[in-house]
Amino acid sequence: MAILEIKNVSKFFGGLAANSDVSFDVHEGMIMGLIGPNGAGKTTLFNCITGYYPPSKGEVIFNGRKLNGLDPDKVCMLGMVRTWQKVRPLAKLSVVDNVMVGALARTSSLKVAREMAMEQIKVVRMEHRTNFLAGGLPIGERKKLEVARALATQPKILLLDEVMGGLNPAESEEIIQLILDIKQRGLTQMVIEHDMKAIMRISDRIVVLTSGEKLTEGSPQEVVSNPDVISAYLGEPHA
Amino acid sequence: MNKTILKSAFNILLVVGLLLIPRYVESPYALHMMILLFMSVAQGQSWNILGGYAGQHSVGHAAYFGVGAYTTMMLMHSKGVVPWVGVWAGMAAVVVVALIIGSICFRLRGPYFVLASIAVAEIMRLSAINLTPLTNGAEGILATEIPAFKIGATVVTDFVTKVPFYYIGLFLVLLTLAVTYWVQHSKLGYFFQAIREDQDAAHSLGINIALYKNIGLVISAVLTSLAGSFYGIYVGFVDPPTVLGLDVSVQIMLICIIGGMGTIWGPVLGSLILVPLSEALRSNMVTDLLVKIGMVNADSRIGIFLKENLSHAHVLLYGILVVLVILFMPDGLMGFVKKLAARRNREAV
Repeated sequence: MAILEIKNVSKFFGGLAANSDVSFDVHEGMIMGLIGPNGAGKTTLFNCITGYYPPSKGEVIFNGRKLNGLDPDKVCMLGMVRTWQKVRPLAKLSVVDNVMVGALARTSSLKVAREMAMEQIKVVRMEHRTNFLAGGLPIGERKKLEVARALATQPKILLLDEVMGGLNPAESEEIIQLILDIKQRGLTQMVIEHDMKAIMRISDRIVVLTSGEKLTEGSPQEVVSNPDVISAYLGEPHA
Repeated sequence: MNKTILKSAFNILLVVGLLLIPRYVESPYALHMMILLFMSVAQGQSWNILGGYAGQHSVGHAAYFGVGAYTTMMLMHSKGVVPWVGVWAGMAAVVVVALIIGSICFRLRGPYFVLASIAVAEIMRLSAINLTPLTNGAEGILATEIPAFKIGATVVTDFVTKVPFYYIGLFLVLLTLAVTYWVQHSKLGYFFQAIREDQDAAHSLGINIALYKNIGLVISAVLTSLAGSFYGIYVGFVDPPTVLGLDVSVQIMLICIIGGMGTIWGPVLGSLILVPLSEALRSNMVTDLLVKIGMVNADSRIGIFLKENLSHAHVLLYGILVVLVILFMPDGLMGFVKKLAARRNREAV
C-alpha cells in the first residue's frame, strides 16, 4: 500500500520550475532513493512534501490524507519527519536534550521523553555522547544526532536529506548500516543521496530527478542501466 | 545529592534573610535600593523567558511595563479602583496587547522582529501622550495617596512606609524565579530553546512555532506588567517617557544581556551590577569617592567639572560597560562564570 503519494507536484520560484509535474508512490516498509544531479530539485521536493513550501501545483497525499498547505509541525505530528542536508543541531543543548525535543512531540512528561530519547540515542550508537553539547560534535555525529532526533518523534516515514554528505567512507558505512537497521524495524524511508554506491545498496526503488522533472523510476539495476540516467549524470556521449 | 541539599539550603537561607531584612534595617534609602533591585530582577526575569529562553529579543517590553503601570494607575486615579484589583486589569490588558503584538511581530524573524517590537512600543508611547482624556497625556498620572490594603475590615497595610513595598517586590522576584524555574523544567522550556537554537529544525520536530512564541510572549508580558503596576504604585507617578520610553525597553534587556540570557540567575546577577552602578553614577558617588581618597580636590577646577558633569555622563559610562561585556563576555556574566567553572573542572580531571 502506498503510504506517500506524490501526484503531479510542481513548484515554481518566479519563472523557474524547481519541480515540475513529479509523481511517484512510496510504499510501506520500503526505502525509496531519490537521486539526481545538483540542482535537480531533490531538496525542494522534500520541502514541498514536509510543508516548508506549499506545492504550486499537484498533491501530496500521506496515509490517505492530503497535506498541501499543512505546516511542518502538523506534518510531523501526522508521522512524517525529515532531516536536513545542512545539519541543524540545537547547538547549546546537550545531545539527549536535542533528542528529547523530538520525543516531546509525543509526550508531555520529561521523564518519558528522556527514556524515549535514550532509546533512540542507543539506536544511533551515541550513548557515550549523551551529555555533550550538540554544537561541539563532529559532522558524522551531528548527522546521526539528526536521525536520532527525527526518530524520537515516532514517525511512520523518515525523509533523509543527504545524511552521508561530507562523511568519510567509514562514517558512511555506519550510516548505511543505520538506515538498514531502521528498515528492519519496519519504518518507511525516503533517502536523498549523492553517493551512487550507497544508494544502490540501500534502495528498494529509485526515482531520478533532473532539472526538476522525473526522468525515470525503477529498481536500482533498472535505473543504472538506463541510458538517460547515464547521460544526465555524465553528459551526452560525443557523436 | 549532597550538592543539591547544599544548594536548596543556601536558597532557603537567602530567602529567609531577605524576609528578615526590614526588621533590622530601618534606613528608607537602603530599603529603596532593595526595592529597585527587586523591580529590576523581576523585569529582567520576565524578559528572560521570551528573550533568553525562546530567543525572541524584544526591544519593546516597555509596552507591557507601561500598559501594566498605566492601567493600574488610571483605574486608581479616575475610578478609584484599588491597586490589587487594578493589577489584574493591567494583566488582562497586557494579554490582549501581547496577543495583538505577537500575531503581527512573530511573522518576522531576527532583526526584523526586533525592529517591529520597538515600533509597537513607540506606538504605545505616542498613544499615551495623545490619548489625553484617558491617560492625561504628557503630564502623566500622579497618585498622591494609595488606599490601604484591607482584608474584610482588618487593615493589612496602609503603605505609609517602604516595608510593604519591600515585601511586594520580594514576592515579585520569587514569583518570576518560580515561573522561570517551571518553564526551564517543563516541555515549554525545551520547545522555547529549540525555537531559539533553530526555528526551522524546531518546526520540523512538531513544534507549533507561532503558538509557542505567543505562549512565551504572554507569560513574559504578564510578569512585566506586574512589575509595571508595582512601579506605578511605588513611585506614585507614571508618564509616557518613564514607563513607555525606549530606554525602559533597553534597560530591561540589558539586565539579561549583562547577567546572562537564558539562565535563571542571569537577571539576578545583572541587576546586582546595574542597579547599584546606575545609582552610584547618578548620585555622583564617583566624584565623592575621588574627593574622599584625595585624588581630586573638590574645589579645584577638575573637582567642579566632575561634580557638574559626571552624573550626566552615567549613560555614557553605562554604554561603555555594555560594550565591554558584549565584547569579552558574549554569554553574560553567568556564561563567564560557567566557563570558569568548566575550566576548573577540566583542570581537576
